[in-house]
Amino acid sequence: MKKLYIIILALTMSLVSCDQWLDIEPEFVQDAENFFNTEEDFQRAVIGVYDLMQTNYLQVWIGEIASDNSIAGGESVNDTQGLHEIDGMRHGGVNNELRDVMRFNYAGIARANFIFENENKIDFPSKERLMAEISFIRAYFYFTLVNYFGDVPLIVDRRASINEVFQINRTPKAQVYEQIERDLDRAIRVLNWTNPEVGRITKGAAMALKGKVLLYQQKFAEAAQVLDELITTNQAGYALVADMRSMWLVANQNSSEDVFTIQHSGLQGGDYGCLVCLQGNPAPGFHGIRNYVGPFYGDGNSYNLPTQNLYDFFGNDPRREVTILDLDAFIAAQPNPSEISYMIGGGGHTGYYNNKYIKRDFERGLPDDDLTSPLNYRAIRYADVLLMAAEAFAQIGNDARARTELNKVRQRAGVPDITSSGNQLLEDIYRERRLELSGEGYRFWDLVRTGKAAEAISGFQVGKHELFPIPQVEIDLAGGRWSQNPGY
Amino acid sequence: MKKLFTLFFTLYIQFSLFAQTGSIRGQVLDDRGDPIPGASVLKVGTTTGTVTDLDGYFTLSASPGDQLRVSFVGFKPQTITVGSEPSIKVNLVSEITSLGEVLVVGYGTATRKELTGAVSQVQGEDVAKMNMPRVDQALQGKLSGVTITTNSGAPGGTSNIRIRGLGTFGNNNPLILVDGVIFDAAGLNSLNPNDIESINVLKDGTAGIYGVRAANGVIIIETKKGSLSSKPSLEFSSYYGVQETARKLNLLNAREYAILKNEAFAAGGMAPPFANVNLGLGTDWQSEVFQTAPIQEHTISVNGGSEKTSYSIGGGYFGQQGIVGGPRSNFERYNARINFVTEIAPKLKLTSVFLYTHEQTSGIPQGGIGSVLFNTINAYPTEPVFVGNRFSYLENVADIINPLAQIENTFNETFVNKLVGKQELSYKINEHFNLNGRAGYNFALVDGKAFSPLAWFGPGKFANTARNENLDPVLVDVGGTLIERGASVFENRDSFLDYNLESFLNYDRRFDGIHRVKGTLGVSYFGNRNMGLNGTAFNIPNNDFAFADISANQAPGGFLNQTGSFQTQQRLISSFIRGEYEFKGRYMFSAILRRDGSTNFGPNNRIGYFPTVSGGWVVSDESFFNSNAIDFMKLRASFGVSGNDQIGLFRYRGLMNGLARYVFNDFIINGAAIGATSNPDLKWETTLQTNIGLDFTLFKAIDFTANYFIKDTRDLLFQPEVSALLGSYGPGGFPPVINAGNVSNKGLELEIGYGTSRPKGVNFRVDYNATFIRNRVTKVPEGLDFIPGAAFGVGGNIATRFQEGFPIGYFVGFQTDGIWQTAEEIASSPVRQPDARPGDLRFVDINGDGVINFSDDSDRTMIGSPIPDFIMGLNLSVDYKGFDFSANVYAAIGQDIIRNYERQQPFANQLAYNVNRWTGPGTSNDIPRLTTGQTRNTVFSDFFVEDGSFVRLRNVQVGYTLPEQISGKIGIKSMRFYVAANNLITLTRYMGFDPDVGSGNPLFAGVDNGIFPQARVIMGGLNFRF
Repeated sequence: MKKLYIIILALTMSLVSCDQWLDIEPEFVQDAENFFNTEEDFQRAVIGVYDLMQTNYLQVWIGEIASDNSIAGGESVNDTQGLHEIDGMRHGGVNNELRDVMRFNYAGIARANFIFENENKIDFPSKERLMAEISFIRAYFYFTLVNYFGDVPLIVDRRASINEVFQINRTPKAQVYEQIERDLDRAIRVLNWTNPEVGRITKGAAMALKGKVLLYQQKFAEAAQVLDELITTNQAGYALVADMRSMWLVANQNSSEDVFTIQHSGLQGGDYGCLVCLQGNPAPGFHGIRNYVGPFYGDGNSYNLPTQNLYDFFGNDPRREVTILDLDAFIAAQPNPSEISYMIGGGGHTGYYNNKYIKRDFERGLPDDDLTSPLNYRAIRYADVLLMAAEAFAQIGNDARARTELNKVRQRAGVPDITSSGNQLLEDIYRERRLELSGEGYRFWDLVRTGKAAEAISGFQVGKHELFPIPQVEIDLAGGRWSQNPGY
Repeated sequence: MKKLFTLFFTLYIQFSLFAQTGSIRGQVLDDRGDPIPGASVLKVGTTTGTVTDLDGYFTLSASPGDQLRVSFVGFKPQTITVGSEPSIKVNLVSEITSLGEVLVVGYGTATRKELTGAVSQVQGEDVAKMNMPRVDQALQGKLSGVTITTNSGAPGGTSNIRIRGLGTFGNNNPLILVDGVIFDAAGLNSLNPNDIESINVLKDGTAGIYGVRAANGVIIIETKKGSLSSKPSLEFSSYYGVQETARKLNLLNAREYAILKNEAFAAGGMAPPFANVNLGLGTDWQSEVFQTAPIQEHTISVNGGSEKTSYSIGGGYFGQQGIVGGPRSNFERYNARINFVTEIAPKLKLTSVFLYTHEQTSGIPQGGIGSVLFNTINAYPTEPVFVGNRFSYLENVADIINPLAQIENTFNETFVNKLVGKQELSYKINEHFNLNGRAGYNFALVDGKAFSPLAWFGPGKFANTARNENLDPVLVDVGGTLIERGASVFENRDSFLDYNLESFLNYDRRFDGIHRVKGTLGVSYFGNRNMGLNGTAFNIPNNDFAFADISANQAPGGFLNQTGSFQTQQRLISSFIRGEYEFKGRYMFSAILRRDGSTNFGPNNRIGYFPTVSGGWVVSDESFFNSNAIDFMKLRASFGVSGNDQIGLFRYRGLMNGLARYVFNDFIINGAAIGATSNPDLKWETTLQTNIGLDFTLFKAIDFTANYFIKDTRDLLFQPEVSALLGSYGPGGFPPVINAGNVSNKGLELEIGYGTSRPKGVNFRVDYNATFIRNRVTKVPEGLDFIPGAAFGVGGNIATRFQEGFPIGYFVGFQTDGIWQTAEEIASSPVRQPDARPGDLRFVDINGDGVINFSDDSDRTMIGSPIPDFIMGLNLSVDYKGFDFSANVYAAIGQDIIRNYERQQPFANQLAYNVNRWTGPGTSNDIPRLTTGQTRNTVFSDFFVEDGSFVRLRNVQVGYTLPEQISGKIGIKSMRFYVAANNLITLTRYMGFDPDVGSGNPLFAGVDNGIFPQARVIMGGLNFRF
C-alpha cells in the first residue's frame, strides 16, 4: 500500500513540476520584442520598409484608369472589379484595390514606426542614414494615403495596439502633411546625393518628393525653392537621357533620369495570391497583350489600356509611340504579320497598350512571369522634376524660369519650344505633363489638383471624386466612428 | 520440503486426471433447438478445445468436474461443468444486443452497459469489408454524429472527419489516436483498414479526458492484437477491382456549342464565330480524360498466442490508379505490422505495437482553375485533341489548357516512410490497482519531387514554362545578364514526429457486492517536432524527368536555384483524474478533471482546466420497471468542457518571420519584419457540451440509442481581418489570432440495430443511424459583420461567409425570381435592375428599396448552406448457408453546392442545360439568355446553387464461403469469394461529378471547383483463413 502512495504522489508531482517543459523558444527566428540589438538588425528591418514601396502597381493602375488616360481592360468586367468601378467613377466603399492601397501603405508605416520605436536602443555609424531613409519612405506612404483618402489616422514612431485601433481618429490632412514635410526634411538633411548601393533613397529623391508634396498643397513658392535647389545643386548629376524610347527597357534602368525609383527584380517567382509578396513588378505583365504570340512583346492580361482620347491628344508628338503601343500598326509593320496573334479581353479593348510599363519578351521574371517583371517603377524621374519646377515657377510668376525647365523636357522630346506665358504657359505645362508622363500613374492626381478632373473625366463629380472613399470595412474595423468621405 | 510436496501433488493430480479422462460428446443448440455449427468449446484453464461440426456436435476429452466454455458469435457464452453423463446438450441463448461490447474510452475501457458518455464504435471487420482505400472513407455512414466529406476522390485523396458538426472557424479535425499514438487526419492514408480491431468515437463531454484537444471529438483506433492460448491463424485476403467515373457532366457537343456561341456573340454585338454549325459531336474531352483504372489490395496476417504472449503480424499492399491521369495519379501503400503482448514478469505485461508504412503518391492538379478536370469541363468540343502531332492549344479561352497535354507534363511524386510504435508496460499492483506507462511515437519522413518540364500549352497560357512552341527556355534578366530558365525540379524532405509519454494508474473495486468504485489518475506529455528542407533547381538536362534531381541542375551560376527550410515544435503537458461510482450496476456517476498546458499559448494563459461530469441510470433494473418488450433501458447525461489549441505556433508573441525583401544593386536583399501580429492574451477555445442519451433494447434483439446534444464553442480562435492601421498586411504578415466568436451545434443522433442469429438459417443484421445537426454562428468578432470565405468564379465576389445567425460557410448572393421576359416587363417593374435586358435573371430586391444594388451587400441574402440537415447510414447484411450479402447506404440530405467549375468566358464550353436557355419571351423562366456582352447573369446568385442532397450505395457485396468440409480438404479453414461494388448507385439531382464535396476549410465546404469524383469500383475478392 505504501508503494501505491508513492506512485500516486510521483504522478501528481510530475505534472506540476514539469510545466517548464512548455518553455520552448521559436527556433532560428528573432523575437520582435527583443530585436534591434545590432546594426544588422536595423539594416534588415529597414529593408522591410522599402519592401512595401513595391506595391506601386496600384499607383500605375489607379492613377491612369481613374483618369481620361486609360480604361481598366482585363479578362472581363468582373476581373479586378474595383478597377472597372474606378474606371467608370462608380466606385464605392467596397473596393479591393482601394483597400489594398490602405492596407499596404499602413503596413509600410507600421514597419517604419516599429523601427522608430526602437531608434534609441543602440547607436552605430549608419543609423542616422537608415533612419533618414525610412523617414522618406514613411512620408511617401502618408503622401499616398492623403492623396487617396484625405484625412487619415496619423500614427508616428510607435505601433498601434489591437485595442487602440478602435480609438484612433482620422487626423486632419494638414497635420499629416506637416508630418510628411518633417520626415522629408530629415531625409534631405541627412542623406547624401548618391549612394553606391543602387536603389537606396538619396537626398535628390527626398527633395523631389518634397517638391511634389508642396506642389500638391499649392505651396508653389516653397516648391519652387526646393526644386530649384535640386536642379541647380544637382550633385547627383541628374539629366534627361537622350533616347526616350529605349529608356523604358530594363537594360536602361537606374539612369541619370532616375531620381526616385522603386526597384524590382525578376529573380523571385510569385503568384496571384499575394501581390504584396512580389519582388517583381506586376504592372508590366498585367499591361501585356492578351495571348500575344509574336516578336518583342510578351503576353499578358491587357489591363490599363490607353484611350483613343489619349492617343489623339498626342497628335504627332513623338512621345505618342513612346507612351502608347498601337498594336495593329505594330503588327502590320512586322515582316510576318500573319503569324502574329493576340486576343481581345472581355474587359474592354482600345487597340492601345501602355508602352512604358509592358511585358517584353526578353524581360521576363521567374514564374508566373506575368507578375515578376524586373522593370522598375520610376516614381519621380528627372523630367517630372523639371515639369514640377516649371509649374511652381509659373505659379509664382517666374515665367522665364518656368519656360526654361519646360523646354528642357520638350527639347529632349524633339518638339519645338514653348514661348507662351501667364495662364497659357501654365496650361502648356499641364499639357506637357500629359505628353511626357502619361502611363506612369500621375494623370488622375494632376487633374484633381489642378481642378481639371471634372472636364476631363466623365462621371467625375466635383466635391466627391477628388478623394476615394475609405473602404467601408476599414471604417467598421476601426470601430465604426470615422465618417465616410463626402459624397460616398 | 515445500517444493517436493508441490511436485508430488502435481504428479498426483496428473495421474488422477489421466486416470479419469474420457471422451465426452456433446451438441450445441440455439434457443430454438437448432444446432450451431462452428461453436467453440474450450476446457477452461487449458488450451484444449474444439469446434462443433455441421450438426452442432463436438467430441472432447474431458472428465467430470471439468468446466467447458461454449461460445459462438451472437450468443451469450456459457460455461458448463462436465457431469457423469457421456453426452451433453448445451443450449446457447442468443445475445444480439451490444450491451457487453467493450468500448475504449480513453485511459480505460467500459462496456456499453456501464457507459455514461456518448461513444460510438465500429468493428474493424466492418471497416475492412468496405474495401475503401482509407479508414475514414469507410466510416462514412457507419456512425451517428460523424460526418465524413470528401476533398477529392483521387488516389491518396483525403476526407474530412467532423464529429457533431463544425465547432470552429479553424481546425475542426478530431483528435485521432491509434493505439494511443497521435495521428493527424491526413496521416490516415498510412493505415491499412485490415489492421484495425475497432474504432471508437468519443463524441460528448466525456471526451474531455483529452482536455484541450478534445473539442472536436476523439477517435480512438485500436489495431489488431492476438489472443492468448490460440493456434496461429493465417489470414489472406485480396481483391482486385476496376474503377471508372460514376458520372460525366452533360456538356455541349460541337454542334450545340457552335449554335449557342453564335447566339451569344451576336447578342454581345460581335460577329458569330461559326459560319457552319454542323460540326457533329466534336471532341468529348471527358471521354478523352476519364479512363478505367485498377484498384487492388492484398493483405496477409497471422494471429495467435501462447499462454503468456499473443501476437498479431501482418503485411499488405494497396494500389490505386486514378480514373483521371492513370499512372500520373497513383497511390500505393505497403504495410507491415508486428503487435505483441507478453507477460515479461509476473503481473507485468508489455504491449508492443509497430506499424511501418511506405506510401507512394503521384498527383495531378486538382480543384479549380488550372486543374485537369476544370480544363476538361471548359475545353470546347470544336477543338480536336491533336493538331498534327502536337496537342491542340484551345487558344480561344484564356487559362484553359489541353487537359491531356497537362497530364502529359505533370510529374509529381511523394514518398512517405512512416513508423508508428508504442511500447506499454502494464503492472498489476494488486487486484484493484493497475499501473500503466507507455511511450508512443509516430515518425514520418516525406520526400517529394515535382518536375516542371519546359512546356508550351499554346499562346498566352498561364501554364507555359517555355518561351515558345519550340520549347525554347524563357530568358530571365539577372542583373543585366540574360539567363535561360530551363526545366526545374522542386524537392523536399520533411520529417514529422509526434511522440507521447504517458503514465496512469487505474483502480477498480467492488464493495459489498453493490458498490463499485473506479478511478484513473494519470499524466501525459505530448510533443511534436517537424522539420523540412527543400530546394528548387533549374535547367534540368534534356527536359527529362529521368534527370529531375536537384543535383543534376545546370543553372548558370546557380542564380535561379532556391532553397528553404522550416522547423516547428509544440508540446502539451497534461494530468487527469477520473472517478467513477456505480451502485448496484444501476446508477453510475463519473467525474473527470483534466489539466492541460499547451505551448501554443503565452505564459499567462498556458494552463487550462477541463471538467466533465456524467451519469447513467439503468431504468430497466428498477423494480417498478416491468415491460416484456423492453429488456434494457438506460438514461445517460453528461456535461463537459473541452478545448481546442490547434492554431499556429507562437501566435502569442511577435516574431521577425515576415517577408522583407527589396532590390539593391539589382539583387534581392533579405531583411526582417514582423510576421503575424501577436496577441499575448491568446487562449484556447472552450467547448461546453451537454449530452442526454437514451439506450434501450427491445425483444432481446433491437438496440436503440439516441443522443441529444448541445455543443457551444466559445472564444473561437480567429484570425479575422483587422484594421489596416495595425500593419498586419505586409508581405508575410498576418492578422493576429484572437479569441472571438461563438458557434453552436445542436443535434440529435439515432442508432438502431437489429439482428438475428440463426447459425443454420437465414441471418441478417441491419443497422441504421441518423444525425440531425443545426449549426449556427452565434457571435463574430467585434467590428466585423462577417468573415468572408470562398470567392465565386475567378476573381469574383465572396460567396460564403461566417456570420452571426447563420450556419458556418453559408452562401450569400442574389436571389433570383425567374427571367425578365420582355422590355415592357423591365420598364414597368417596381424594382429597377440596372442593365437588365429581356432574358436576364430577375433578382429579388431584398431590402425593398426598389433597386437591385450590385455594388453593395444590401440585396444579397442567404441562398444556401453546405451543411446537411441530416445524414444517415444504413448497413445491411444477410447470410444463408455460406452465402452472404451486405450493403452500405449513406445519405446526406439538405445541403447545397455552389457550381463553381464553369469558366465564364466567351469561348468556354458550357453545360448542356444552356440548350434550354431563354431565347425569347416565354421560352424559359429558369435559364438566362447567352451573351458575350456585359451581363449581371454571372454574378453569384442562386442560379449557381444546387441541392446537393444525395443517397449513395457505398458498398454492396455478395460472397460465398465454401463449406469447411471442402475447404478443409486443402487445409483451409475458411475460404470466401466475393464480388463487390463501391459507389454503384448515387441518387442526386446535383449536376456535378460528385455531390460528396468537402473541404478542410469550413468556409469552402460545398464549393465545387470540379472535384475529382470518387470512382465507381467493381471488384472481386477472396478471404482465406488457414
